[in-house]
Amino acid sequence: MAKQVMIVDDNRYVRDSVEIICQGENLGVVTATSGAECLQELEAGFRGVILMDVMMPEMDGWDTIRAMIERKLYPGNVIVMLTGMGEPDTKMDGVQEYVTDYMTKPFNPEELVESLRYYLALVDELQ
Amino acid sequence: MPCRNLVVIGVSTGGPLTLREIFLRLTPLNAAILVVLHIAPPMDARIAKGLDAVSAMPVALAQHGEYLASGQVYLAPGGFHLRLDPQYRVELVRGERVNYVQPSVDVTMSSLHRQLHGILVGAVLTGMGKDGAEGIRHVKRVGGITIAQDQKTSTIYGMPKAAAQTGAVDFVLSPAQIADKLTQLIPPLA
Repeated sequence: MAKQVMIVDDNRYVRDSVEIICQGENLGVVTATSGAECLQELEAGFRGVILMDVMMPEMDGWDTIRAMIERKLYPGNVIVMLTGMGEPDTKMDGVQEYVTDYMTKPFNPEELVESLRYYLALVDELQ
Repeated sequence: MPCRNLVVIGVSTGGPLTLREIFLRLTPLNAAILVVLHIAPPMDARIAKGLDAVSAMPVALAQHGEYLASGQVYLAPGGFHLRLDPQYRVELVRGERVNYVQPSVDVTMSSLHRQLHGILVGAVLTGMGKDGAEGIRHVKRVGGITIAQDQKTSTIYGMPKAAAQTGAVDFVLSPAQIADKLTQLIPPLA
């Protein structure tokens, strides 16, 4: 099964939840525990929908997106930010156009799947 | 057909699905609809194509120099600011980010002039930050009707909240209600 969704989160519970939901929908999923692992997966060729946690140690979600842009790893991907906060902080300044959607945790599985299917259709167009 | 009526929608994070909800519901209107979404290429073209698939009006990226036409939906391309001249001709300009984004809703809405005829509507939907607040104030100042998305349906309430806090917003509505309001305000496409 082709990897279509990447969940980037330092919280194992969140990663496992997304993985189970995606597998139940027959969607290929890859997990990354940090921004650095996300970049490694992108360097290895992943293209798809990236569910990116905002708050992560060392390299947070915004810094990971900045690194994606600098390394030209953004094209072909759709980025959806995941956070437990009510409002994101100002670190998104300058990278806002690269974030297509935003979900608060805990997320509704049905809404997650609906969003993933919509954005995967966009990703298919990008290939 | 050159447009007489104009709707400008400013939106950011959470925008694609919100726009999809609106355009799924919206019937063809006798107006040009210009969407300023904070998005970078090449996603901008894909979003336009995705909206075109569900919209009763054709959706395409706005092109530099073209005149907006009634019954058409235009998406501002990423990497530029979009201004309109008094004849609703598109000007794409590179420059400094405004409110940390490009395209900026404030830039587009602030370029609008008072129209002697026709209907002007400005709407600010879900998104981070406060882009669109100054724009919506300007739309109101030049005689337009103004709308902000409600908190309940906004993925991020930042932009609609900032717009509403200007005191220049006429209606606070859900996406479905925004589609219905536009249908009430603007005649159908002949």
